[in-house]
Amino acid sequence: MGAFETSIEATISRWFGIDPPNDPGRRLAAELAGTIEAFEALRGTLVFEDEPSSFEAALQATKEAV
Amino acid sequence: MAGLADLSLVQAADAVASGEATSLDLLHACWANLDAVNPQVNAVIWQEREAAEIAARAADAAVQNKKPLGLLHGVPMAHKDMYYQAGKLSTCGSALRKDYRPTVTATVIERLSAAGAFTFAGLNMAEFAQNPTGHNKTFGNCHNPWNLPYITGGSSSGSGASVAARFNYMALGSDTGGSIRLPASACGVTGLKPTQTRVSRFGVMPLSFSHDNVGPLARTARDCARVLTVIAGHDSRDPTSSREPVPSYEAAMNDDLRGLRIGVPANVFLDGADEPVIAAIEAALQVLVARGATVSRFDLPLMDAVATYGSIVSRAEAAPIHAEWMRSDPQAYGAHISGRMYPGYAIPAAYYIEALSRRGPVLKAFAAEVFARVDVLVTPTIRTCLPTLDATDIDHGPPGTEHRFMAVSANTRPFNYLGLPAISVPCGFDPNGCPIGLQIAGRPFGEGRILQVAGAYQTDTDWHKARPPILEIAA
Repeated sequence: MGAFETSIEATISRWFGIDPPNDPGRRLAAELAGTIEAFEALRGTLVFEDEPSSFEAALQATKEAV
Repeated sequence: MAGLADLSLVQAADAVASGEATSLDLLHACWANLDAVNPQVNAVIWQEREAAEIAARAADAAVQNKKPLGLLHGVPMAHKDMYYQAGKLSTCGSALRKDYRPTVTATVIERLSAAGAFTFAGLNMAEFAQNPTGHNKTFGNCHNPWNLPYITGGSSSGSGASVAARFNYMALGSDTGGSIRLPASACGVTGLKPTQTRVSRFGVMPLSFSHDNVGPLARTARDCARVLTVIAGHDSRDPTSSREPVPSYEAAMNDDLRGLRIGVPANVFLDGADEPVIAAIEAALQVLVARGATVSRFDLPLMDAVATYGSIVSRAEAAPIHAEWMRSDPQAYGAHISGRMYPGYAIPAAYYIEALSRRGPVLKAFAAEVFARVDVLVTPTIRTCLPTLDATDIDHGPPGTEHRFMAVSANTRPFNYLGLPAISVPCGFDPNGCPIGLQIAGRPFGEGRILQVAGAYQTDTDWHKARPPILEIAA
C-alpha cells in the first residue's frame, strides 16, 4: 500500500473511526487521488462574476419561460 | 395476452372513473402478473393484499356513489421501499432497516392518496438507493423482466421491473444520479426526474440531499405528467421544495414540435457508446425531426466541472448519514455499498463547500450557453448495451468491476448536479433483447417541455407498449 492510501485510511480512521470495509473500499479510496487531481485541474479555469450565489436562485434565473 | 394490467396509468384511472373497470379488477389483474413473474424478477419484497382490497372496494364504492374523484382514483400502486408510511415497513433495501417502521408518512404518498391512489406493496431497490444496477445483498438481486440475467438499472430497480412486468401502473423512484431514469431505460418504461426542488422529499429516505429527487416510473409520458401534477409543489415540511407554481402538465402536452430546437451533445455522452444504442437514438431523432424539430450537435460546456463537483457532493453527503452503521456494522452492507461510501469520509469539507457553492454559477453558465442554442438536450440514457448482473457484481467480481458498474450512470449523473429535469423513454432494443432509453433534458422547471417532446415521440412509436416475453411464457 502506498503513502497516499495509508494517509487516506489513517485520516478516515482518526476522524470517523471507520476502517476499510473491504477491498473495493480500499481500491476506491485509492482512486481519490484522481478526484483530487480533477478538482485541482479546475482551479483557475472557472471565473464566475456572481460567485458565490445560491443554487435555488440559479434555478429561477435559468428556468423555462412560461 | 394484453389485459387490464397493460393499461397505462391514465387509461386505468379513466377506466375506473368511467365505470369501465373497477379498482378491484385492476388490482387482481396486476396480481396475476405479480404471482406469475415475481418469483423470477424479484421486484416486490413485501405486500399488503388485504388492506389493498379494502382500499380498492372503497374506491369502487365512491365511483358507484358518484363521489368526487381524484386524478388517480382507484389506481393500485407500489413504490420503491423508501417512501415512509407511518407504521408500515420501509426497509430501504437494507438488512440494517429490515424491520424499520417510520412514524411519519411521506408528503408524496399523502398527495397520491389524496388523488385516490393506494399502495399494495414495497418494491426492491438498491441498498439505501446506492447502486445503478439493481444488486441487493439482503433481498436478492432484482432481475430484468426482458432478460433475467441482465441488470434492471438502479437504484429504483423494483420500480422499473414492476412497471415493465405489469405488476402496477406507476411506481415512485428516487433519482440522485440517475436512479429513476436508469431503471426506466433498462426495463423499457418511462421515468421522470423532475427539477431539483420541484417535489417534496419529506418522509423519503435521504441519500444526498443536494441531489435527491422524487419522481414517477410509469408506462407513458402522459402518465408521468399526471403524477407530477399531483405530487409537485411546495411543502412546508420540506423547506427546500420550490414555491414555483404547478401547472397541469397533461394539459400542456401536444404533438406539435415545430420550432423545437434539439441539442445532441457531441462530447461525453456518446464516448464509448455501443452501435445499437447510437442507432436507436438516431432513429428517435428522425421521429422528432419529422414532427418539426431541428437538431444541432455541439460540445456541452463545463462537463469536467459538473462531473468532478457532482461526484464530490454526492459522496460527501452520503457519508455522514451512514457513519454510525459504517462504524458499528459495516459488514451488514453489500461490499459495493460500503466500499463506495468509504472514500466519502476522506473528502475535505473545503472541497465539498467549494463544489456546492459552484453549483449555482455552473448552472447559470451552462444554461446561458446551451439553452441559448437549443430547447432540450437528447442523449442515450445508458450509452452501452445493458450489462449482466454478473458483469457488474462488485461484491464477487474481480478488481475493475466497479468501473463497469459506474459506467452505467455516466449519462444521467450530470443532470443531477445541474438540477435539470430529465426523462427517459423507451426507444428500441439491444441485441440481447434489453430495452434502450432516450434521455430528454430541459431547463429548470421545464418539465412541461420535456413531457411534450416525450409524449409526441410516444404518439409516433410503440416501444413503450412492448411487453416483456416473460409475461407470455408465464401465461
